[in-house]
Amino acid sequence: MSRRRSWSRRATLRLGLALVGIVVLVALVSLVWLPYALDDTSGGRLSAPSAEHLLGTDKLGRDLLSQLMVGARIALLVGIGSVVIATIIGVTIGLIAAFAAPWLDDSISALLDVAIAFPVLLTAMLIVALQPPSLGSAILAIGLGMSAVIARIARILAKRVVGSQYVTAARTSGTRTLGIVRRHVLPNIAPTLAVTLALQFGAAVLAEASLSYLGLGAPPPNASWGRLLQEAQGTVLEAPVGAIAPGIALVVLVLGVNFVADGLRDAADPTRRRRRSA
Amino acid sequence: MLGYVLRRGALLIGSLVVAMIVIFVLLRLLPGDPANALLSVNATPEQIAAARKQVGSDQPLLAQFGTWTAQMLRFDLGDSLITGAPVGPEISSRLRVTLPLTLLAFGIALVLSVAAGVTAAVQSDRWYGTLLSGVAQFGIAVPVFWIGIILVWVFGLGLGWFPTGGFPPDDWSDPAGAFSSLVLPALAIGLVMGASLTRYIRSATLDVLGSDYLRTARAHGSGFGEALWRHGLRNGAVPVVSVLGIELATTLLGAVVVESVYALPGLGSYLVDGIAKHDFAAIQGVLVVTTLLVLLVGFAADVVQRIVDPRLRSSVGVAG
Amino acid sequence: MISLKRKALVAAAALTVSALALTGCAQGGSAGKGGADATIRIGSLYEPVNLSNVAGGGQGVTEALSGNVYESLFKLNDDGTISPLLATKHEMSSDGLTYTFTLRDGVKFHSGKALTSADVKASIEAVLAPDSQSARKSSLEVIKSIETPDAHTVKVDLKQRSISFPYLLSYIWVVNADAKDLAKKEDGTGPYTLGEWKRGSTLTLNRWGGYWGEKAKNAKVVFSYFTDATAEDTALTSGRLDLITSVQNPDALPQLEKSGKFTINDGKSTTKELLAFNDKAKPFTDAKVRQAIYSAVDRKKLLNAIWGDYGTLIGSMVPPSDPWYEDLTSLNPYDPERSKTLLKEAGLANGFSFTLDTPSYDPHPAVAEFLQSELKKVGITVKINTISADEWYTKVFKNHDFEATLQEHVNDRDVVWYGNPEFYWGYDNPQVTKWIDEAEQASSEAEQVKLLKQANRQIATDAASAWLYLYPQIVVASKDVSGYPVNGLNSQFPAYNIVKK
Repeated sequence: MSRRRSWSRRATLRLGLALVGIVVLVALVSLVWLPYALDDTSGGRLSAPSAEHLLGTDKLGRDLLSQLMVGARIALLVGIGSVVIATIIGVTIGLIAAFAAPWLDDSISALLDVAIAFPVLLTAMLIVALQPPSLGSAILAIGLGMSAVIARIARILAKRVVGSQYVTAARTSGTRTLGIVRRHVLPNIAPTLAVTLALQFGAAVLAEASLSYLGLGAPPPNASWGRLLQEAQGTVLEAPVGAIAPGIALVVLVLGVNFVADGLRDAADPTRRRRRSA
Repeated sequence: MLGYVLRRGALLIGSLVVAMIVIFVLLRLLPGDPANALLSVNATPEQIAAARKQVGSDQPLLAQFGTWTAQMLRFDLGDSLITGAPVGPEISSRLRVTLPLTLLAFGIALVLSVAAGVTAAVQSDRWYGTLLSGVAQFGIAVPVFWIGIILVWVFGLGLGWFPTGGFPPDDWSDPAGAFSSLVLPALAIGLVMGASLTRYIRSATLDVLGSDYLRTARAHGSGFGEALWRHGLRNGAVPVVSVLGIELATTLLGAVVVESVYALPGLGSYLVDGIAKHDFAAIQGVLVVTTLLVLLVGFAADVVQRIVDPRLRSSVGVAG
Repeated sequence: MISLKRKALVAAAALTVSALALTGCAQGGSAGKGGADATIRIGSLYEPVNLSNVAGGGQGVTEALSGNVYESLFKLNDDGTISPLLATKHEMSSDGLTYTFTLRDGVKFHSGKALTSADVKASIEAVLAPDSQSARKSSLEVIKSIETPDAHTVKVDLKQRSISFPYLLSYIWVVNADAKDLAKKEDGTGPYTLGEWKRGSTLTLNRWGGYWGEKAKNAKVVFSYFTDATAEDTALTSGRLDLITSVQNPDALPQLEKSGKFTINDGKSTTKELLAFNDKAKPFTDAKVRQAIYSAVDRKKLLNAIWGDYGTLIGSMVPPSDPWYEDLTSLNPYDPERSKTLLKEAGLANGFSFTLDTPSYDPHPAVAEFLQSELKKVGITVKINTISADEWYTKVFKNHDFEATLQEHVNDRDVVWYGNPEFYWGYDNPQVTKWIDEAEQASSEAEQVKLLKQANRQIATDAASAWLYLYPQIVVASKDVSGYPVNGLNSQFPAYNIVKK
């Protein structure tokens, strides 16, 4: 069982990396080369896929493949940006709670429970409403929305480490809190936290797609996949590819990071690590 | 048990108060004056002043909050700034779409996920067990509105089995029409939520399968199915119930997005519309009602979890 | 007067599967009985805000109540002309400063009270009152005094000549002077009384037996309100509606056409999509720059992208239904070479960049992207700044804090706003202002038309704004109904002639 399991876990990780790799590659290529410029409207209204336009064109005559490629860039940016924001805020709050006096810890965790009860998208919608629409505010909104989840996990993980014998030992030997955080807490919580972060990456990409789809995300001419879907669905009968391709792109990326998360979870699993070192 | 319910109830009320303050403060930070929503573009300064008075945006912030809280306590959610219609009745009429949609979707998700999750766990060494896990993985990665679009394309346009959008104007007095309008959106949400629940149920079932009491029960001569039913259900339900609350809240949010795909006059389209038009009263109303629903669901899930899990009854904490 | 709410309401249409809503799910909703006792079920995107036309009732209240519940001294016909309604005749003094109106006999309000000149006076004064939010308030400020020599005569003195005065009066409802609470109730003289108004859902009109003229040809009219164009289309295709007043999602039309069950009426519209420059901000102070931009845009392609085969190209602010229309599309034709030459002449051979304030609802974002692409070809960089309707109102309309913007202007006869240098687009040509003032004070319609044509030609030559296209005005109706208006002028929708088979 365990050998088969570890084989399938490694395969999962590789498959995940491959899927994410495709998206990253496309995003990188889009930086230096696109089949057509994004504002090139020479393609004609809703042309069908052809040798010139592999995925056809939209209502304004723009090449869909080019938009999809730029969308990859945006999706990755959103994923990375919101996860970084959520990590900075979440880990800080989580660590504060873990080291704080019990009453403060309890209040923070009660607040986090309330915050977590709200799906990220709802929080993000509210925050987005506060600002003029832009990719930046969408990323910020999603990052803020996700930080409660990260904070809760960081707190639980950190508390486990803080209660451990070697931290007590470090404390008695006079190491300051920041030193403990840097030397003991962060390295110990990182592997498990990474799994959560990967999952949140996927959630962030989906949340941004939903925001854009609802018209609350980055404004045009931003080729977010969610926005492409919103524009294409009205003409799905005339040009079905436009309503299918961005969805597939989203699935590839999100499935990819979820697989990576699964693979990481295995790597972070202490029982397996022990087995390996034995 | 009663003590727990009371403590949990206090937390519920506390959370609600905190959420109300947050909603109020956030909305006052919106750029622009809510009074603008009332004005035609060639409004004079006098008209603007009159509109501000009508909306109450000429009052100090604290006074506005006081008025608002007093209104809330009377279950009055104020009047929409765009249509002038009271928000409360508007929301309750929209809940007639959103609540049935959420429950239908949640039902679909539960049935699918229990069937798929238990099968995937019990038959984890068969090809279809693996396939089910794989499909569930896939389902989690799919945006719900995209499934919505595809379902419309296939079952609405292609096969013509269901309406592709809209809701009967005379809503539930046309039950068949109303129900058929909800089938595709509920399916879209149910599929995605079901995929995510399947994973929990599969791993809960796997835990139960590997547990000592199940082995013991089988050693004592119970059949596998009977053992699973008698011991596994209750023990397996514990971790699942704890996520159901959050999943139900997520389903509600799924409804918010999917309503836009299917042009349903529900809570979600009201919220999206309100955000686009800066209709403070509408946004505020929807958020308050959604918050209340989400917190109530969380409360109910926690209490139910207490009931099904005897081990938790003695402990004190309310977190989770 | 620019309707912001109109389009904001249908912004949600973009979020929906518009084309998809149109397959035949004909279950639900009976066709209803036809003939003289028929109920006409009308779908609209514009629910009234309240029932008053002086308290910000919006476009919806005009649509539902004008001509149906309330009447005016003059009636605005579907072809843009006016004819007498509650006034049987009017006389203008030789200096053009005094109008005398004779009221129709035997007209009663729904409450039973007979119409008198005092009601007309009160109705006009309500529009002019300080708290009035009527869009016509500024135009009617030309009135000096209103007198009522007897119960059937109204005499109005003007500060200066106003040839369009009778036309302006066609917008003013005559309301019972004693009526109260008009935001929630009505007391008009029209062929229908107001039945039930279920907020957020329907508004019902009932045929009134006491009407002075020919009775309505149907017994009942129900307006159903939608916030979503797709839901509206679905209701029509599934037989829950007889017609919809204004289609705003072009993607729906091919399917409606194909079904063969509906008449698609491509009426005359007055709604123009404008790229409005701030003519007081550099470099748009230079007419050459504005002309260059106008000539750089392939309007035909744009219109096709947004509306498919519907809509009309225009070369000025004046739509074909205004009396002073001429085809001016050739003044600033689509010609990128001309554009480049003009930019060179303006000293901008290397191009420049500007910010385009774009309302966030359809079709503006798509139009903005198209302009961005077109202008890039002549070296102009467009930065798109998306704003909400109320930000547009504050930033652009009130504070004139913008370089260029997109907006739809719905009114007929609105070219006269270019005569006001204080208007948001800041077009200031003293000659044009003079012509427009003179046109308003003209002694004959021919003179008015001549002067406005002259003014409009100048405005168009200067490319004061870039008039991108004229929206189509599309009424889609079941083939069983007839007698509905197709042009939707001033958003009114008289329903009394609609008959159902």
